[in-house]
Amino acid sequence: MKTRTFLLAMFMLAASSVVMGDGMQYELRVDGLACPFCAYGIEKKLKKTTGVKTVAFDLEAGKVIVTTEESARFTEDEMERLIEEAGFTLRGMTERELP
Amino acid sequence: MERVVQRKRQWKRRWCWAGVLLWPGLPALAHDPVFGLGPHTLFKGAVEVHVGVDRSAAGARDQRVATLELAYGVTANWTLRAELPYLARDGAGDGLSDFALATKYRFWRRDGLGVQESASVLLRLKTDSAGRAQGTDTTDVLGGIAYGYESRKWYRWAALRYLSRGETGAGLERGDRLLADLVLGIRFRQTAYLEPDWVWMVELNGERTGRDELDGRRLPDSGGTRWFVSPGLMWTWRNFAVKTGMQIPLAEDLDGTQPETDYRARLELEWHF
Repeated sequence: MKTRTFLLAMFMLAASSVVMGDGMQYELRVDGLACPFCAYGIEKKLKKTTGVKTVAFDLEAGKVIVTTEESARFTEDEMERLIEEAGFTLRGMTERELP
Repeated sequence: MERVVQRKRQWKRRWCWAGVLLWPGLPALAHDPVFGLGPHTLFKGAVEVHVGVDRSAAGARDQRVATLELAYGVTANWTLRAELPYLARDGAGDGLSDFALATKYRFWRRDGLGVQESASVLLRLKTDSAGRAQGTDTTDVLGGIAYGYESRKWYRWAALRYLSRGETGAGLERGDRLLADLVLGIRFRQTAYLEPDWVWMVELNGERTGRDELDGRRLPDSGGTRWFVSPGLMWTWRNFAVKTGMQIPLAEDLDGTQPETDYRARLELEWHF
């Protein structure tokens, strides 16, 4: 009985990770990103936010790539507030579930 | 009568030192100019630790000032700053100089892809905490306005500042000072986020100082105009910045007999948390 319960729990955990994925990836188009030093404010603001795992930058393209833990979800309004507090302007956001 | 003349000479000597060498050390955020004023403010909740060393020479006079500054980003557009300088002069001892508080507010910002333009106003209050020995013996107020254009390659800044200087305990009214700055900067190689980043700058700094007054009379050996050309460099890596530059006199039109400036140099280290 114990073995069956454990196997069932493992199956449900595996199934949930397939359905929910490993988290989200947000691609933010940010205006005003001219220098790496100034971009640190975005890294700091985002990494202080619960659920954010990684923050990466493509300064030439004005992009900030954010990955989150599986339970974390952000709206565009929430991202816009964080970017504004860092001193920049959010122009757009796309999101996708990580495989 | 002789004593009065002697006293005036002493004051002249003392304020030549202060006037020539104690130019307003200013809250200069990284990616602001080294000597001029820029519009940068900290991100909301940011703490900045800033250590600066200034050295200046005029004739036989040599002065060094080390300053510890702490700043806090109240919002992304509003920064508060406290400055504590330590002053050392040849033959005049050393010690803590006047404590200062400053605030900068960014009232305009326009962002584009890889570009940020902004404008800020600054207010700085230098207290009389150190008195005559290591300070200026005055409470001074500085107001300024700055515009900045920052892109992946080019930087441009322009600023105007007005320094209103107070009256010393002995009744000397120091002349006010108007400062103007034009700065051009370039990043030769566009670096990625975690790469060390270099920006080279050249500044044109102008200063017009009014005459000092004592007992209602204008002192002849005070006031005048100075222009400097100032090459500088900003090196940053993630949240750490080093800035350095040197002011080289271009032209000086000083009233009466005053020592001309040889150079002024500055080195700044800055951390953002």
